[in-house]
Amino acid sequence: MKALLQARGLRLAFGGVKAADGIDLDVMEGEFLAIIGPNGAGKTTFINMTTGYLRPQGGTITYDGTEITGRRPREIVRRGIARSFQLPQLFSEHTVEENAALAIAAREGIWSPLAPLLRPAWQEEARELLGRFGLLPLAGQRADALNEGTRKLADIAMAVALKPRLLLMDEPTSGVAASEKMAVVETLARVLRDARVTAVFVEHDMDVVERFADRVAVWSQGKIAALGPPARILADPAVQRDVIGIERPATPGGVAAHA
Amino acid sequence: MGDWLEQNGALLGLALLDGIASAALIFMVAVGLNLVFGVLRVLNVAHGSLFAIGAYAAASIGLFAASAGLPGWASLLALLLAAMLVGLVLGPLIEQLLLRRVYGEEPVLQLLVTFALFMILEDAQKLVWGVQPVSFSVPVSLMGTVDVPFGTDVIPYNTYQVVLLPAVAVVTLVGLALFLRRTLTGRVILAVTTDREAATAMGIDARRVYLLTFTFGAMLAALGGALSTPTASLVPGIGASTIVLSFAVVATAGLGQIEGAALTALMIGIGRSVAVTFAPELEVVVPYIIMVAVLLVRPQGLFGVVETRRV
Repeated sequence: MKALLQARGLRLAFGGVKAADGIDLDVMEGEFLAIIGPNGAGKTTFINMTTGYLRPQGGTITYDGTEITGRRPREIVRRGIARSFQLPQLFSEHTVEENAALAIAAREGIWSPLAPLLRPAWQEEARELLGRFGLLPLAGQRADALNEGTRKLADIAMAVALKPRLLLMDEPTSGVAASEKMAVVETLARVLRDARVTAVFVEHDMDVVERFADRVAVWSQGKIAALGPPARILADPAVQRDVIGIERPATPGGVAAHA
Repeated sequence: MGDWLEQNGALLGLALLDGIASAALIFMVAVGLNLVFGVLRVLNVAHGSLFAIGAYAAASIGLFAASAGLPGWASLLALLLAAMLVGLVLGPLIEQLLLRRVYGEEPVLQLLVTFALFMILEDAQKLVWGVQPVSFSVPVSLMGTVDVPFGTDVIPYNTYQVVLLPAVAVVTLVGLALFLRRTLTGRVILAVTTDREAATAMGIDARRVYLLTFTFGAMLAALGGALSTPTASLVPGIGASTIVLSFAVVATAGLGQIEGAALTALMIGIGRSVAVTFAPELEVVVPYIIMVAVLLVRPQGLFGVVETRRV
């Protein structure tokens, strides 16, 4: 398996806070890589640097053999890296179907001034895409009428509509009700595997990480503190103490046993 | 009341027609101002100067066409040509050189920059066209008059102002609403307006949307100016008075409203012309009385919605 994305020596500090302090990280083609870590550790900063929203102060990011460090977001999207945000960024005045069609339009070229948004080919593709996410019954609803779990899925559906090879997701399950969470993750994993999309996701829910990730990177104080398969990383006492202990209450015999 | 109407019916009718004609012009300018603000989030104080330059350019091109012996209908084309020329030249120039640098900055800075531009354009206009009144009324005489029935009276009024101007305003209103809601580019403009960051994440070029929108807004202002040329002589200061009226319309309607701006332009246009006829001393303040009265009751404007925008 080859590395699709390579970060080397990435550095970025906000004031005195080091969000990235010499990050080396490879994202392998086809894998689902989870990034976990305490709040404010710099996880989202990594997504922002990779997608061009923040320019690193040092280091390089290489995607598919080409250096993309500091390029503009739009150019990076065109190369095949899509992202979703922690707060779903749907266009609230549009329906779910129109949102999806807009993403397809953004991919296909938007500069035909008088063409309709829902041209038949795009409409068909939008509906097929929504079908894969189980969102077809909601296609005609306005985006602002959806519940959080559905909004997350619709948001990620729009990113998938861009046909990315690499998708970066910032907390895909935050705000989703506990009862819907696993269903959302299952849908997501299935669609991304079918579309052969490599995924990086920032996540706080360790059950989701365990179920969804092939590898886990622990981001702590701007550095990668640990990297490996979920079974090993999540069982690591240091990780349990520094990361999981903060994220979920200690269970008897868990963190307390190591304290 | 009945007696009053009988005595003043024709005057009232005339005031209404005046009001409709001026509302059409105010609408063209205000809707452009509103569109630009809605998409770029920059309140362009120099928008009125584009109106003024459009007006002067229309006079120059029209007078040139007349001196070249072109037929009368060419004078109408001259108005259109002037608007497009001013919009297509000044629009991109202003957006690329000035506005692009202040997107997302403090509103105070944006206002200062566009105010500076307003002062530059006002002086540039005096340098090019001088301070003597300029007039070009061929289109009005070309189109003749039409008899408008009003109650028991028949009011002869010039066709240009009572038919052409409102028709252009209605076409603009309907065309713009359909463009924004039905076409792909319109939807993309709305998407960038709703959430620039998300639109960029999809690979939409927000800068291009801004350029397009500003150029279009500039063209609308210049078209308003060009269409006003045949009905009034042009003097320095028309830009300033136009922008102030447009602000009143936009504030009364609510920011970002298109149909609302049309209705408010009618209210203010008619309110002002009725004042000119029956209480001339109030003419200057009527638009602001309407604006203040509306804002006291609805601070977000008649048709505005209170925004819950994500930061």
